[in-house]
Amino acid sequence: MNELTNEIVNSVLHFIKNIDHSDEAFNDQALHLFNYQYRNNLPYQMYCRQKGKTPRMVKMWKDIPAVPINAFKELTLSCEDPEKAEDVFMTSGTTKGIRGKHFHPTLEVYNNSMLLNFKERFMNGHDRMRMGILFPTEEEMPNSSLSHYLALAFKECGTSESKYFVNNEGLQVEQLLAELERVEDSGERYALLGATFSFVHLFEELHKRGKSFQLPKGSRILDTGGFKNKSKELRLETFYSELSALLGVEKSTCINMYGMTELSTQFYDFGNEVVPSVKRGPHWIRTRIVNPLTGEDVAKGERGVLVHCDLANFNSVTTILTEDLGMENEDGFLLLGRVQGAEAKGCSIAVDEFIRAAKGSF
Amino acid sequence: MKEIAGYLPYIGDEELEYKTLTFEGEDEKLEVQVPVLTKEQMDKVVENVKQASANILKSITISDIVQVINTVIEQLLDRTNRYRQKAEKLLPIITGYDEELVRIGLTGYLKTFRKQNLQRFLVEDFGNPLLLDDFQPRSKRGFSKAIGPNVTVQIWAGNVPALPLWSLISSLLVKSGSIGKVPSAEPLFAGWFAKMLVEAEPKLADCLAVVWWKGGDEEKERQLFQQADVVLAYGGNESLESIKSRVPITTRFLPFGHKISFGVISKMCLDSRKAWKTIHHAAYDVIRYDQQGCYSPHVFYVQNGGNVSPREFARYLAHELEGFEKRYPRRVLSIEEGASLAEWRQKEEFSMFSNREKEVLAEPSGAWTVVYGGNEGELTPSCLNRVIKVIAVDELNEVISYIETYRSYLQTVGITSTPNELFHLADLLGKAGVTRITGLGSMTSPEAGWHHDGRCNLLDLVNMVDIEHSAEEYAESLASYVD
Repeated sequence: MNELTNEIVNSVLHFIKNIDHSDEAFNDQALHLFNYQYRNNLPYQMYCRQKGKTPRMVKMWKDIPAVPINAFKELTLSCEDPEKAEDVFMTSGTTKGIRGKHFHPTLEVYNNSMLLNFKERFMNGHDRMRMGILFPTEEEMPNSSLSHYLALAFKECGTSESKYFVNNEGLQVEQLLAELERVEDSGERYALLGATFSFVHLFEELHKRGKSFQLPKGSRILDTGGFKNKSKELRLETFYSELSALLGVEKSTCINMYGMTELSTQFYDFGNEVVPSVKRGPHWIRTRIVNPLTGEDVAKGERGVLVHCDLANFNSVTTILTEDLGMENEDGFLLLGRVQGAEAKGCSIAVDEFIRAAKGSF
Repeated sequence: MKEIAGYLPYIGDEELEYKTLTFEGEDEKLEVQVPVLTKEQMDKVVENVKQASANILKSITISDIVQVINTVIEQLLDRTNRYRQKAEKLLPIITGYDEELVRIGLTGYLKTFRKQNLQRFLVEDFGNPLLLDDFQPRSKRGFSKAIGPNVTVQIWAGNVPALPLWSLISSLLVKSGSIGKVPSAEPLFAGWFAKMLVEAEPKLADCLAVVWWKGGDEEKERQLFQQADVVLAYGGNESLESIKSRVPITTRFLPFGHKISFGVISKMCLDSRKAWKTIHHAAYDVIRYDQQGCYSPHVFYVQNGGNVSPREFARYLAHELEGFEKRYPRRVLSIEEGASLAEWRQKEEFSMFSNREKEVLAEPSGAWTVVYGGNEGELTPSCLNRVIKVIAVDELNEVISYIETYRSYLQTVGITSTPNELFHLADLLGKAGVTRITGLGSMTSPEAGWHHDGRCNLLDLVNMVDIEHSAEEYAESLASYVD
């Protein structure tokens, strides 16, 4: 890393750890990063200029041009030489097999952002908990931001008895059930963390065996990522009811994490007694709800697309335009799922169908 | 506001179930109730239509049928008529299209079904329309008659106002009973038209039904298709595929899938005097129904070498679209539609970084977008809602290589060229899969009697019944007057 990057990293770390959560502080830091990224990230600079947004025009964090997440597939968004990055996280690449890349010259910022926030929002005042992870390890799934995230939780917040229960062959059902039994007997509070779809696989196994657990008091569950066509799609109500019924954990301690490969900071809710739950991030990330066409904020209480300004995203771009639908709320925002591709209204062919046709005929 | 959609023949004093579809207009909410029939009710409807089709419709002469349709069309063209007024008021709420655009669109569209046009339509397919009434002599000797189906099931799709008229009128012209399923996006017009027909000719009361069911309802569709002679369906290939799987092999299935259309502009019409008109027409084809029609353009191929270059063409087009936006603003888009438009546009913007030729011209709020794609070539679909791409070509022939892959999806080409270019290109386009070539500015209003997707739309519905010469000869030998 060059000196300039070092300086930026230090300022970001300082900001994350700072207790000043004011609008001014956020704004100053956001503009500071914007200037840095505008100058050092050429594709981003081109994008900004096309939008007519140069550092001279941008006075507020809300003015920073939001980069659509697709850009991570098409452009190299990195201020530092991407070759020298400590790690690169990639999206799963659903369409056309092109994967979005998020370069991290150092993981120090990501790790600090993750841990500070995770401890506050999930660990419930405990330093460490016995954990079960329903996701592959970093070694098995390199370049996955989620595997890195869970590995951090495992290493930094899990006790020595913590274990992984998913490998490349899938969910290790027998080991997991044995562990849950042990935990149930021991009375030690437990944390089960993993991909939403892995929990659905667990439900299916439990139903098949007619089994359920009553995890000890104080146990917590964290799911993330949704079903991703890897399991049955359950309605949110059903998912959390099952989770609570089959594992004996209150819905209020079933936490959903909302994160993205393109971000360095995560959002959490305060349990899922009511769905959709309210999501909120720490003081170094802010969210706007916009009309996707105009990029302007929608009126309070209206649906719109989420734009996140993540000040831990020091190397790529702070501000990204997601494909997630949401609605503002006093305590944060409601996550309403992904913006579905609009269905064709008329009899003109839709882009998706056309692409499928083109693929089929080659 | 509330409106009951659909039309049913009398099936006894039964309790009907309705499904309510809600439409949010700019300042008014409209609730449309569409009839949903039980299995028993549907069976009764089919039985009625079948009977009426055989006993009543088949005995009405074709000229009387044309007369009845014409009466209704004349009424609909009369802006003081109550149905017409209802259409002008409610269709904009339902479809979101600008009121004025709906009004103009309706008039232009309905005109194609006036008496003279219907006659043209018939002659186009049958030569002699009396074939539908009686056996007609054939030049090879013998006689033939065209017999329409007893029941044609029609599954309509989309939100282009009054679109179901094409198939509804076609099946009437061949004396077929109709059972139509209205699309949720425009559930009203077909029902009104049915009611008006019955008001104009009460004998038709049992000849048609306009209903609704949830698309893909397997049991209902199977049950209905079993009793139909022809199933005619509009929609995306996926839904057509699933409909097809439920149509028995003995029932004729006529699918009309989604299509893609484009424009071709010769340099010959790009001098400073003619260009403005060309560009005005191009923009008009884009704004009509916000490109939702299968005949709406996705791309304009513009030839280099004219006084106005393709890049300038794109810029003028943007200007023209801005003008239209003032007069006929685009429909308000849902968040989902807005997001897919934004995504499409962003993609184009990113590709500018690798292709410096490109230019993206867009109204800030996304009301229209023109992308100048330079020499990008390949036909790519637009995300619609007034989003159009302009691609430069040196020779008009080049277009062929860009569309070849999409053969089965091609439909209309709007063209401006010299007569020689027109016929030369038409031949190549036809071979590449295009089925309709029209003047720029007319892309969205096909002529009466057009071959929709290349088909003979009336002939496709009927069975020809032949009396061969030998039968005639045989009969002759058995006549009472034989010596």
